[in-house]
Amino acid sequence: MLRFLGFRLLRAIVTIVLVVTFAFVVLRLSGDPALLIMSVDAPPEAIAAFRAAWGLDDPLWVQYIRYFNAIFHGDLGRSMRDGRDAIVLVTERIPATLALTLPALAIKIGIGVPAGVYAALHRNSLADRMVMVMAVAGFTIPSFVLGLILVLVFAVQLGWLPSGGQESWRHAILPVITLGVGGAAVLARFTRSAMLEVLGQPFIRSASAKGVPWAAVVRNHALPNAAIPTVTIIGFMVGSLIAGAVVVESVFSWPGVGRLLVVAVANRDLAVVQCILLLVAMTMVIANLIVDLLYGALDPRLRATRTAGAH
Amino acid sequence: MITSRRSTLVGAGLAGASLLLPRFAIGQSDTRRSITIAVQKTANSNTLEVLREQSNVGERIFFTSLWEGLIGRNWLGDLGNTPSLAAEWRRLDDRTVELKLRQGVKFHNGDEMTAEDVVFTFGRERMFGNSGDAPQGRTLFTTETMPGRAGNTLPPEVPAVALRNWPALERVEAVDKYTVRFINKTPDVTMEGRLARYGSEIISRRGFTEAETWLDWARKPILTGPYKVADYRPDQSLTLVAHDEYWGGRPPLKQIRFVEVTEVSGRINGLLTGEYDFACDIPPDQIPAIESNRAFEVLGGTILNHRLTVFDKTHPVLANPLVRRAFTHSIDRQAIVDSLWAGRTIVPKGLQWPYYGEMYINDWDVPKFDLAEARRLLREANYRGEPIPYRLLNNYYTNQTSTAQVLVEMWRQAGLNVVIEMKENWTQIFDRNSQRGVRDWSNSAPFNDPVSSIVNQHGPNGQQQQVGEWTNEEMNRLSVELETSIDRPRRKQVFRRMLEICEREDPAYTVLHQNATFTAKRKDVAWKVAPAFAMDFRPGNWGR
Repeated sequence: MLRFLGFRLLRAIVTIVLVVTFAFVVLRLSGDPALLIMSVDAPPEAIAAFRAAWGLDDPLWVQYIRYFNAIFHGDLGRSMRDGRDAIVLVTERIPATLALTLPALAIKIGIGVPAGVYAALHRNSLADRMVMVMAVAGFTIPSFVLGLILVLVFAVQLGWLPSGGQESWRHAILPVITLGVGGAAVLARFTRSAMLEVLGQPFIRSASAKGVPWAAVVRNHALPNAAIPTVTIIGFMVGSLIAGAVVVESVFSWPGVGRLLVVAVANRDLAVVQCILLLVAMTMVIANLIVDLLYGALDPRLRATRTAGAH
Repeated sequence: MITSRRSTLVGAGLAGASLLLPRFAIGQSDTRRSITIAVQKTANSNTLEVLREQSNVGERIFFTSLWEGLIGRNWLGDLGNTPSLAAEWRRLDDRTVELKLRQGVKFHNGDEMTAEDVVFTFGRERMFGNSGDAPQGRTLFTTETMPGRAGNTLPPEVPAVALRNWPALERVEAVDKYTVRFINKTPDVTMEGRLARYGSEIISRRGFTEAETWLDWARKPILTGPYKVADYRPDQSLTLVAHDEYWGGRPPLKQIRFVEVTEVSGRINGLLTGEYDFACDIPPDQIPAIESNRAFEVLGGTILNHRLTVFDKTHPVLANPLVRRAFTHSIDRQAIVDSLWAGRTIVPKGLQWPYYGEMYINDWDVPKFDLAEARRLLREANYRGEPIPYRLLNNYYTNQTSTAQVLVEMWRQAGLNVVIEMKENWTQIFDRNSQRGVRDWSNSAPFNDPVSSIVNQHGPNGQQQQVGEWTNEEMNRLSVELETSIDRPRRKQVFRRMLEICEREDPAYTVLHQNATFTAKRKDVAWKVAPAFAMDFRPGNWGR
């Protein structure tokens, strides 16, 4: 088990280093923060002064070494626009994003999984067709389109909810629904297909043939086996909790990490972008690690394989 | 004294009530409205310092609510110079302007503004840093100190911008408590214009020195405007509240809140639902949709900014001025204005604005739309249809992409083979690793003299020459003359000649149209829009 965890950890570190290096190089080669933050009409002297002050006129490799040296000393850099520590800026925005993504995750799981299970258990019925039509629609409609439709209906036409901003809990309703619907649709489709695959397995027929009640067959045999692909998808969703609402935050003017990322990329606010990417990569890696561990809990065969491999 | 729980509770209740009642009374007496304005961006630099925030969006939140200069602008009129914090001024000689300060002007911290604040505003500590001794046109200021780290150390770009605004300012003297003198190193007829320009506004000395860091000050500057900063959340919102001691009278609004709504649809929807009182940065194609609802209207129009197509002379084909001239004659500018701007802007008379006053050349005009002439010029230049790259940003300017598509077709009509190359940012636009051709730009005039535009943008220290796109020896010689001459008739001749060079003989650019900005609001709100990004909420411009 330790060997398994060690390997996973090493792979996670390599992934994070690659992500950060890629972002470092691409961001610096594709735009000059001085020109973007100071604006194209700023005097050339101001642009030059800005570059010198932030070390942007040093060779790329010097900047790279300086950056990684700082990371290893716990310094993720400072925002060129804001002057404050990047980590402070990012962590300030995390609660706002989680205020959307956590309820949305609950909607995704709370609606998507039961709908998928129900559709699979009633395959080819009217209910199954309806669930799948809704799932395909939810999956294919881009979140910005769905968001705008919801705003038009519930804010502009009916006047029930605000169209954007973050002043109260009512402001979170439309963005949470927008985020939740797409994910619920994805989960419904995956859960349905996973369940259908499991329900077609011989051990399900054996259990039924032995007289085990159908509800018990589903609960004890079908659901745990179908859970593995579903948990994988949920793992991805958990991994995107921090930066998974970029579009929705923009549509609803919600001041979360997603909007910060958009602004930071547009302005090549390097430290902020890299800090967000680092956090996202870490969240994703941790989520994947948890999923791997859950696989073992869900399927004893995997646990046995790992234990054997560890000896 | 023995106190019971009941008496303590009663006492606490009374104390609470005593705190609440006066507030309630104030709340009752202040019947002024609070408004919310949806903007695409509050500030690019995440500060409210005029010397750091060099942008149009900055102009909107700064003027006329926060920052005020000694010489102001007629924001609701011709944008010309008007008395502001200085009640009057006069020329002592070609290098010196003396200004009499308005008495009784109160800063947001309650201090009275005096000559000492003016001198401090233009001092090293706040404006020039250690760049004061830099030779004209060169910046020596570099520092390892990062903005906002400690103390009141200036970010390096602040002195750099200040030096550009005031390249030859020798000193500012306090003659007495209410009189100051601005003394230049060289003769300069534009000093009054520079005093009225963006970046020459007055700050409170105590406000600046008492702030813990420069960033603290730059996010809550202590100024003289009719509103003061209550809360600033970068990339989110800016809340201003009335400064009731404002020298110009009691501000008509209790609170102004600018909120960042990046999506156009979000701003329009918020206006329609009543969440916002104003929606700014409305694209022209959205105007009919908004005005189809009779309760709303879209105001706005031309601003002090012209859209240009800029040429790179180093391109082998564009090196021939005949080809560039062909470009200028192939553009039906009025068609662009009519089709993409719904006729709500104009084709100006070259790179100049009427507020130049006596320096405005009324009989000048942009090159005539004449396809036959364009084709003749291309034949004379022996142009064989070689591709000319057009580096383009995706709607950095309003209507930029659609204008580019129209332009390319117009040029094609004349026989020019212009190829659009989409780019993500300005670094990629200026990149010299591959051949540049034409690009988009816009030019403003920060003060009412051609020095502020044609010299600052296209002269020897202007961006176009600094990025290596274009240069012209005569133009460079004339730029120095326009900056330093005090012979006004001669200056006008020089300016005309510069226009001839830059727009006709050896085109550096060609003007397409004047830029415009549009703001949507409810019709029943009585408010007049300025011909600028600035939004005026001073006394006299609210209510009927």
